[in-house]
Amino acid sequence: MKSNPLCKPWEHRLSRRRLLGAGAAAIGLGSLVRPAMAEELKKRQKQVLFIWIDGGISQLESWDPKPGTQFGGPFRAISTSVPGIQVSELLPKTARQMHHLALVRSLCTKDNSHSAGVARIQRGDPKNRGVTYPFFGSAVAKLLGAGESGLPPYVWVKPGSGGFIYADAGFLGPKYGALAFGDGKPPENLLRSPAVSAEDDAFRNEFRRRADRRYAQRRRGGAVEANSFVYDVAQELMKREALFDESQYSPRDVERYGSHELGRHMLKARKLLEAGVTFVKVNTYGWDTHGDNFVGHANLVPKFDQAFAAVIEDLAAGGLLDHVLVIAISEFGRTPRVNGHVGRDHWPEAWSAAMAGCGVKKGIAVGGTNDKGTWVAGEEFDIGHMFHTWFRALGVDPRQTEYENNGQPLPIAHEDCRAVEEVLA
Amino acid sequence: MTDPSELAKLYGPKELKAVKAEQQQCAVRFTPCGKFLVGGGYDGLVRRWDASGDEFAELPPLSGHGGWVSGLAFHAEGSRLYSADSWGRLRAWSYADAAPQPLWETADAHNGWIHALAVSPDGKLLATCGMDRLVRIWDAATGGKLFELAGHAFDVLAVSFHPDGKSLASGDLAGIVKHWDVAAGNQVREFDARQLYLSNRLQDVGGVRSMAFDETGKMLGCGGARPKVGGNVQGVPLAVLFDWTTGMATHALEFGKDSDVYLCDFYFDARGFIVAVTSGNPGAGKLLMQEFDAKEPFFSIAKPNCHAVSRHPSGLRLAVTTVNANSNGNGRLKAADGAEEYPGNWSPIVIFDMPAPADA
Repeated sequence: MKSNPLCKPWEHRLSRRRLLGAGAAAIGLGSLVRPAMAEELKKRQKQVLFIWIDGGISQLESWDPKPGTQFGGPFRAISTSVPGIQVSELLPKTARQMHHLALVRSLCTKDNSHSAGVARIQRGDPKNRGVTYPFFGSAVAKLLGAGESGLPPYVWVKPGSGGFIYADAGFLGPKYGALAFGDGKPPENLLRSPAVSAEDDAFRNEFRRRADRRYAQRRRGGAVEANSFVYDVAQELMKREALFDESQYSPRDVERYGSHELGRHMLKARKLLEAGVTFVKVNTYGWDTHGDNFVGHANLVPKFDQAFAAVIEDLAAGGLLDHVLVIAISEFGRTPRVNGHVGRDHWPEAWSAAMAGCGVKKGIAVGGTNDKGTWVAGEEFDIGHMFHTWFRALGVDPRQTEYENNGQPLPIAHEDCRAVEEVLA
Repeated sequence: MTDPSELAKLYGPKELKAVKAEQQQCAVRFTPCGKFLVGGGYDGLVRRWDASGDEFAELPPLSGHGGWVSGLAFHAEGSRLYSADSWGRLRAWSYADAAPQPLWETADAHNGWIHALAVSPDGKLLATCGMDRLVRIWDAATGGKLFELAGHAFDVLAVSFHPDGKSLASGDLAGIVKHWDVAAGNQVREFDARQLYLSNRLQDVGGVRSMAFDETGKMLGCGGARPKVGGNVQGVPLAVLFDWTTGMATHALEFGKDSDVYLCDFYFDARGFIVAVTSGNPGAGKLLMQEFDAKEPFFSIAKPNCHAVSRHPSGLRLAVTTVNANSNGNGRLKAADGAEEYPGNWSPIVIFDMPAPADA
């Protein structure tokens, strides 16, 4: 596909940042990262666990309960390990980990449809510049890199099938797409067939590399680079097959995380983080509870609770939470009013997200909604605010860092938004 | 089977009026004396209406519950009303008093949502079930817990005493129905209603949403849906009827299409048919009457999201709990007058007159 390197005059308004980006490029840093930041990132690789609750989760049955009010639903609120912060009774295990968490209860975003909402939220809803922005996982893969693990920087543990999800990368190019492990399993036929000797395999790979280089000489690099990248990743994964051998997992861990799909995938995510993957996305489907929301959440949320609390507890206990940023979010919340199907519909007006770990304060709830949970009380935060917050938490200053897209400087987060300072440590 | 149009003429109800409940109601029931209509709401109130005439004037509500008032049951002796809520509270009232106070209350009858309750035929026992996967038996006079029945692996959604008073049935989210010996306090056998259940992605969908015995105790009915998908739950409303003696399912009566979803409530009419209500996608709901061996209802009327049906003790009236039209919608929605206030939904209680036996 032919890309258009031309940009429009109005896209040059942010000349200060453009200059900063150009300056970084001039001193040979690939335009993305200032020297001090690069050194810092080298010292301690920051990582992300991004938990995507697709559908999405009801804020009233999770992070922002309003029991005993008009739209509060049937469930109670419970106290947490942080005095003064309550969550839904459906989150008892997470409540005991609240001292690690930071809640934002004043999200107000734009889209109330899945088709627009999923992408806009995961892309940070930047201003339209005629390019497709990367999902957060691809952005982090580009900005933080793969580290020294040799593993791909952006891995997605998902239900269903796997594959290489290059579309997430947007203008960054396919190399920054997600390597998806369907049902947490490695790609099929990952391991070298016994019929192929190690020598033959090495010869074939060398032949492929030469062919790739020759092919790339007269073509644009993105697709070829991604193709080579996938092979390189596959070779590294072949060395790490133990990561996927669930029979080696501690039975206690399996029990704590849950034998259900989300529990298994969350435990796999922890293993991948421990192995050094920069960005791990875990997602769960089926949260679009327009019907039977309450019986639905009564059996969905406890599964999330089990897996989420276990991974927070383990990352904290192992010291990983100091450099792993954990985010749990959906494309929107759910309506306060309960429809005739005893469901809640889509609600981007006032909803919540949970965070923990790297760069984030512990045991706080920022912002809030009115007493009925219908609107944000106080300042509203859009997803752009969250992207600023997350980048800052990872040590990337979104005011001084830009993407470089064929010569076009592009902000990494919506320039009209800011970080939620109250969340940042 | 009789000609459906003849059956409709004989037994088909005629709509009288709709009584407005300001907040959505889980269920509305006629009292055994027939003088009151009582509803359990999403606002923790037990609402009452004067059902002695056609006006249905609202009376002072009974307050003190939390969350949703999710279960109501009666016994004629002493005009007792038992109410349960989603915060685990159980209360007894003398419902006919001008300003009733609880006769007793158990604050933590269950850990969380009590999904259903039932009174034994002699009025001495009360059975409750809930999201803690337990069935508990209470002394109806004092509220004292007698014993509990454990064994369900999922939330218990429905409970019903057999007319002989010796047996109790409970149904769970997975479609497992347990038969308990009330005197011995143990499980006798299980009935398989798993066609009412679906494991979809991460969600357990469906389950036994309604349950009733016929008057003879020969037949047990379990209502719900044949779930097709979770999330925005879809599935055909379904009643699975069991022969109580053999424990075998004899009928699986379907009551609509996938968007009609749950058979929320029903009762067996001694004249040989089932009276049921369904609630599916917002706006989709029906009151239906169908013979056991018929493929289609002989009477059907659409009303938005029918969650409960109650027969007046005279047999001359029905009350159907519905939800207002246009109850759903994504995103920002302001009140019709443009005010900032976000509008909630409410429950029209639709009153039907039934043909008198002399007319039939």
